[in-house]
Amino acid sequence: MSALASVQRARQNVLMTSLPGSHGVGQKRLNSSKWRWVPPEWNKDPNKELKKKLKDSQLKGGSSPSLQAVPVGDGQGSNRPKVPPRFHTLPPVQLKHPLFQSENRPDLHLAPFQPDLVKPISLNKALQFESGHRTLLTAYGVPRNILHEFRILSKPCSLVREVTLSTTKWLDGAATQPSSAKRAVITGQLGSGKSYLLLQAVEYARKKGYLVLYIPRSLRLVDSSSAYVYDPRTRTYLQPEFSAELLKRFRDVNLQAFEELLTSEDVIISGRRMIPKGTTLAELVRNGTRQEVDAPVVLSALVKELQLQSKYPVVLAIDDFQSLYSQSKYRDARFNTLKAYHLSLPRLLLEFASGRQKFQSGAVLGALTTANSEFRVPLELQEALGLTPDVPSGPYIRRKPELVEYAKGLQNIALPSQMSIAEAAALYELWGKEKVLNDAPTDQTFLRLYTESAGNPRDFVWKGVMGSFST
Amino acid sequence: MHILGVNMPDHKLVRHTLTYFFGIGKHTSARICARMHVHDKCKVKDLTSQQVTALTAFLNAPSSAPLPAHAPLAGVNYRPSAVGKPLNAISQPSRAPEDYKDPLKNLRIESDLKREIRENILHHRLIGSYIGRRHALQLPVRGQNTQSNMKTAKRLNRIERVLEPRKNKRF
Repeated sequence: MSALASVQRARQNVLMTSLPGSHGVGQKRLNSSKWRWVPPEWNKDPNKELKKKLKDSQLKGGSSPSLQAVPVGDGQGSNRPKVPPRFHTLPPVQLKHPLFQSENRPDLHLAPFQPDLVKPISLNKALQFESGHRTLLTAYGVPRNILHEFRILSKPCSLVREVTLSTTKWLDGAATQPSSAKRAVITGQLGSGKSYLLLQAVEYARKKGYLVLYIPRSLRLVDSSSAYVYDPRTRTYLQPEFSAELLKRFRDVNLQAFEELLTSEDVIISGRRMIPKGTTLAELVRNGTRQEVDAPVVLSALVKELQLQSKYPVVLAIDDFQSLYSQSKYRDARFNTLKAYHLSLPRLLLEFASGRQKFQSGAVLGALTTANSEFRVPLELQEALGLTPDVPSGPYIRRKPELVEYAKGLQNIALPSQMSIAEAAALYELWGKEKVLNDAPTDQTFLRLYTESAGNPRDFVWKGVMGSFST
Repeated sequence: MHILGVNMPDHKLVRHTLTYFFGIGKHTSARICARMHVHDKCKVKDLTSQQVTALTAFLNAPSSAPLPAHAPLAGVNYRPSAVGKPLNAISQPSRAPEDYKDPLKNLRIESDLKREIRENILHHRLIGSYIGRRHALQLPVRGQNTQSNMKTAKRLNRIERVLEPRKNKRF
């Protein structure tokens, strides 16, 4: 046999051995029934393992039956994790311990949060927010931190501070000035009460009869948690789901005004459907939210109508304000990151926040969130608000012109880093009435908690008052 | 829901269930979701019928899927046209369409990818390379220690790869 023929023969053997079901020359015949190359441990006999374990336990010297090794699992050799038994809650009749007697807490008897009560006489007093059907709290919701506290408190309430009085006084001017002249952002340290102050301002505005559009968690606009679709007309990405929800909530809170105001022109929505001129805004929202795809167009039309009317001042309140100036988590089809102003809803809010669009009377109020590390306050916004930048800010650092434009003219409502003794005492008394404190409230305990928290409201409540359980 | 024979549970995120396809990891899955405009928190039950159709068509033949169209984004001073009126003229993109190199163009999944892997190993064997010889002997191929990796190599390094994958694992 020539060398070439031997190589060819060898190659043929290789091919034959490598193909499934092949029987190579001089090799053991492969059993086609076992032609499934699986690891050896797949063919383990489960009973064999069980016997081995029992034998091992016997060899080690089993003593009392309580110490005898028992195989884990259902004895069938399976390695399924044990599922804990299902726990059933006790019926309320059997919950006799005082810890469960939440209904027996003394009623707080708080005054409602109303404009005529938000005066210097109510300083350092807790006022209760309205909760119920079609109220601000139930329609819009609240930020997560506030929600946790409201779940513990017997009634949703907040303390009237000096900054509350100054902010409400600032809001009083919104009735006579355009919104472009009343644009402010609440800033302060972590846990200093920014979201609470914004909530108080929004409740105050609503009780005064203003139209209120409140977005408590605007991070949800940019964190890729709702659907998005490209619109070639506006060259932005619409968010139909979020727009539809916002429209419904806006209508629920301001229903009376929406049933009075009428549209001034026809509104064309998808499928060549048209909502005629003279329709009430409530009907416009109802027609526009039948299908989510129509919601962005209807929202734009609604905002346009609110810009034309002058009967009701409009307050636009946005928590997590810095999310409007950041990169979103959305991506376009080519995997490029989208900025917040490439999305229709944040862009709409930015237009009003920058004063490029305005209501005839009203205000734009935002609150920063310093707790989120994914969406930090950008340099352009920090410089516009006069804050000390915590990022490199030299002359060689590029500022994005779009963000500079959108942050122009914003005022800063700065919260103090610590609350006063009187405010802290009022807070201590409020939580004391809720029976949160483990020990009896004393001046010593109060001063200790105030000092340990350095006057920070959140630390005072969560680490001080709530952390007062002795271990 | 089943797409191309792969079960995608309705309650799971689309971004995660796409990784159930052989040949799609989390990065490729993110790119596919962006291509179909599927947001990060979208669950399989939230997909629209158009998205499901587009996803199925793409996964069926990724190489023949059309390039994503240029979607111009509005600048700060852009004013859109009124609803129902003709769209504003789009200026030419700064980069020509053919300059865009689509990372998903050469995507192979499932049987195509398995075939390619088998062919690559067979090619090494046919040309008599070191890699081919190590595959044939079921020994480590990439310079690992045989003392510790021989058993793994015995299981994995064959001329003909495993035909049925282990549960929740690909090899």
